[in-house]
Amino acid sequence: MAQYFADIYQAVSSAIQGMGITIKHIYRKPVTLQYPDERQVMPERFRGFVHNDMTKCDSCNICAKLCPVDCIYIESEGKGKERMMTRYAIDYNKCIWCSLCTENCHTGSITMSHDYDHSVYDRRTLVYEFMDPREEKIPCHRATRTEMGWWVEPKEEKKKPVPAPATDTPATDAPPATEDDKGDDS
Amino acid sequence: MEAMYTFFMDKAGMGELGAHITVAAIMASLMFIVMALCAIIFTWMERKVAGFLQSRYGPMRTGRWHGWAQAVADMLKILGKEDIIPAEADKGLFVFAPLLVLLGSLLAWAAIPWAPDFVAADLDLGLFYIFAVSSLVVIGILMAGWASNNKWSLYGAARGAAQMVSYEIPLALAAIPVVMYTGSLNTQDIVIAQQGGIWNWFFLRNPFLFVAFIMYFIASIAETNRGPFDMPETESELVSGYHTEYTGMRFAFFFLAEYANLFLVSMIAVMIFLGGWWSPIPGLDFAPALTFIIKGVIMVFMNMWVRWTLPRVRVDQLMHLCWKVMIPITLICVIGAGLWMMASGAAS
Amino acid sequence: MATNDTRLTGWADQDHVPGLKSELLELNMGPQHPATHGVLRLLLHTDGEIVYKVTPVVGYLHRCAEKIAEGVDYKQWVVYTDRFDYLGPVTNNHAYVTAVEKLTELEVPARAEHLRVVTAELSRIASHLIALATFGLDMGAWTPLLYCFREREVILNLLERIAGGRMLYNYMVPGGVRYDLPQDNWVSDVLEFVTMLENKKLPDYNTLLTYNKIFIERTSDVAIIDRETAIDYGCTGPVLRGSGVQFDCRRNDPYSIYPQLDFEIPVGKGEMGTVGDCWDRYIVRVREIEQSCRIIRQALEQLPEGPVHAIELKKPVRVPAGAAYSRTEAAKGELGHYIISDGGTKPFRNKVRSCSFCNLQVIEKVGVGQMVSDLVAFVGSLDIVLGEIDR
Repeated sequence: MAQYFADIYQAVSSAIQGMGITIKHIYRKPVTLQYPDERQVMPERFRGFVHNDMTKCDSCNICAKLCPVDCIYIESEGKGKERMMTRYAIDYNKCIWCSLCTENCHTGSITMSHDYDHSVYDRRTLVYEFMDPREEKIPCHRATRTEMGWWVEPKEEKKKPVPAPATDTPATDAPPATEDDKGDDS
Repeated sequence: MEAMYTFFMDKAGMGELGAHITVAAIMASLMFIVMALCAIIFTWMERKVAGFLQSRYGPMRTGRWHGWAQAVADMLKILGKEDIIPAEADKGLFVFAPLLVLLGSLLAWAAIPWAPDFVAADLDLGLFYIFAVSSLVVIGILMAGWASNNKWSLYGAARGAAQMVSYEIPLALAAIPVVMYTGSLNTQDIVIAQQGGIWNWFFLRNPFLFVAFIMYFIASIAETNRGPFDMPETESELVSGYHTEYTGMRFAFFFLAEYANLFLVSMIAVMIFLGGWWSPIPGLDFAPALTFIIKGVIMVFMNMWVRWTLPRVRVDQLMHLCWKVMIPITLICVIGAGLWMMASGAAS
Repeated sequence: MATNDTRLTGWADQDHVPGLKSELLELNMGPQHPATHGVLRLLLHTDGEIVYKVTPVVGYLHRCAEKIAEGVDYKQWVVYTDRFDYLGPVTNNHAYVTAVEKLTELEVPARAEHLRVVTAELSRIASHLIALATFGLDMGAWTPLLYCFREREVILNLLERIAGGRMLYNYMVPGGVRYDLPQDNWVSDVLEFVTMLENKKLPDYNTLLTYNKIFIERTSDVAIIDRETAIDYGCTGPVLRGSGVQFDCRRNDPYSIYPQLDFEIPVGKGEMGTVGDCWDRYIVRVREIEQSCRIIRQALEQLPEGPVHAIELKKPVRVPAGAAYSRTEAAKGELGHYIISDGGTKPFRNKVRSCSFCNLQVIEKVGVGQMVSDLVAFVGSLDIVLGEIDR
């Protein structure tokens, strides 16, 4: 019997306390940003749409290989010194904005911009062609680029990498052949 | 009302029957227009209140100023939707159900007194008529759930019927002390009995009446299938309960009926407990209809506040609450109010 | 369906309504349903409101992530791990890179470990906030959803400043983290957020939802998982701890810098009902948020200087042949990765032991005898995410 009245009292008091909290929010300023009139400023590292500067790109294919979903399409023709890039496209139907492509670019041509709102009505228009295939092809080989007047990456002195403190040999060299089943402790 | 009758009878020369029919037609259209307007305004108000309670804005863009045209846009959108009737559904019941639900809430609007001597149907059984006619909604809900040929709708309809039938008892019991004080079921008399400022309003006359007011408020939330008692149409379990399969205008009828019901129970609460069209300061009654509507809107706001704060009550707990908690309390209120009346020597 | 199930035949043999043949109602709480936290299909056999059999059907979100692992590089697969538990993604990254580091015996710099723990705990708070919010929503409380999302927005902004993405971060690599701290006042912003969460917001949620009588009535003594059942079915995380078992990978099988940090492991004590009911699982998550705030403070105070990755990011990770299994405490439970390598740059097999998959199994036993509304409460308290179940 006492539990019955205790339940009623608890129900009423907790309901009133809860209502007290919600009513306080009427007086506070809402946290909504009225997009598109008010927009958030993106931080520096924000990964927006990928942008490739075609004057610097020399079709080394590193970004295409690093992409986890294979969304970068690079086509070139010729070999050796006469190799010319004919197509550079990024398929945004597949791109996951992970920025793995920008990390190893040795010319710094591919970067992540701060754009994020490029909705379209037709999915086919989401394949961005960075190069117009009807225009002139882009030379890939360093010497050819210098000859034709394209931008060339300045040669850097090969410095000895400073060893990071207290690390073992990173597993980027050939694996030691002696270890078998060393991690099997499941 | 008298002025309207005499105008149509004598000046327009229609005779008694003609005058009655014309006045009835005018009042019915007026009620329908007010009901449609209130549905539009309250959908907007619900979204804005929900927004501000949740630290956000609600509609802001349609209509420039705080999205006032959002409800209008929603109505236009609903009118343009395709009308789908499921293949295996019982067509007759499926089509008739929303009409019955709307009828149940609309009929009760006839007995609400908006201002002194301005009531569509001045019935001596006013309050009794209102409670009786609102039960038509239960049949409509059962029909909707059964005719949809959808197991989830059936769940919602079964729960809804059980809930609404059960909660009509505390609803009516909570109104009985008021009738005891007034001595009449006529809605006009009930309001007139509360004149003289806020201390004469029924909810402050004695503590049993205050408890009866709280019980009425809770039972009315359950009657309208809203707030913590929205088991029949729980969005997280049954998608939309008994009106899952309805589209287009038929869904709009359910929608309209819900908000009409909401305003109806708020107006009844104002009428029997909160002084009807009297203003809180005695003597300052220059706009009775406006005062009545403003008080109704305040009660609607309380209803919305409760809805957006509290979680849902489960079906069996809902039944326990009705039969084992609210009915004993309302019975005690009836007896207690009667004893208080005898002890203070006051009739109405 | 299985007519040799004793519960079902038992029901069918009883004379429920004399003279009439009775059947259980077969209901589909289908893939599209507002209450099932994703594309989960629950096949129910009910008698009125009581459920007699529950069969979860999963696989609607299967994206072949484990098969794709055999075709991509170790560093590239980190982005796929983000997409498992997409509500608390950094903890998923953490589980995978720990496994790779076990296999290659890489030593991660101390600064990277601290940053990993800070971002992982922030992600855990974000995931628990969604658990609280959606559990409240399933119970019909619309408002805590918006409040929790408001707090989660701050976390997402903080993580965006350090990792570059709002929801899917790609922040860790085997051997460290990808980026160091940004140049603005990230650390002080994190500390300010954590203080605000502990002092102002969690008490608000407790008053509004946790100690609300209606919520307590809906969740206490509902769907009780006792100790033995929880351990038998392989439940981990708040589901296991809510049943009173004090087991947390951060304490019982420590990794990263957790041995140096001081925090408690909350367990369910049956405060409002029985040990192992929905309320216990819920309160374990609320208390874990408080403990995560503690961890973040300590990790930021002890942040050392140094590099943030042990390997050169430009070169691929070459992993020696072998196999390794490592487990970490993700937001929803114990997340394990079993990697078998044949000595190249791509793994031979990458198996994920996902916590939500194992937690969901218990619904077949505990769901029987509940009402449909209680089943919704149970699924909400298990806090499953279909991305993890289906991978």
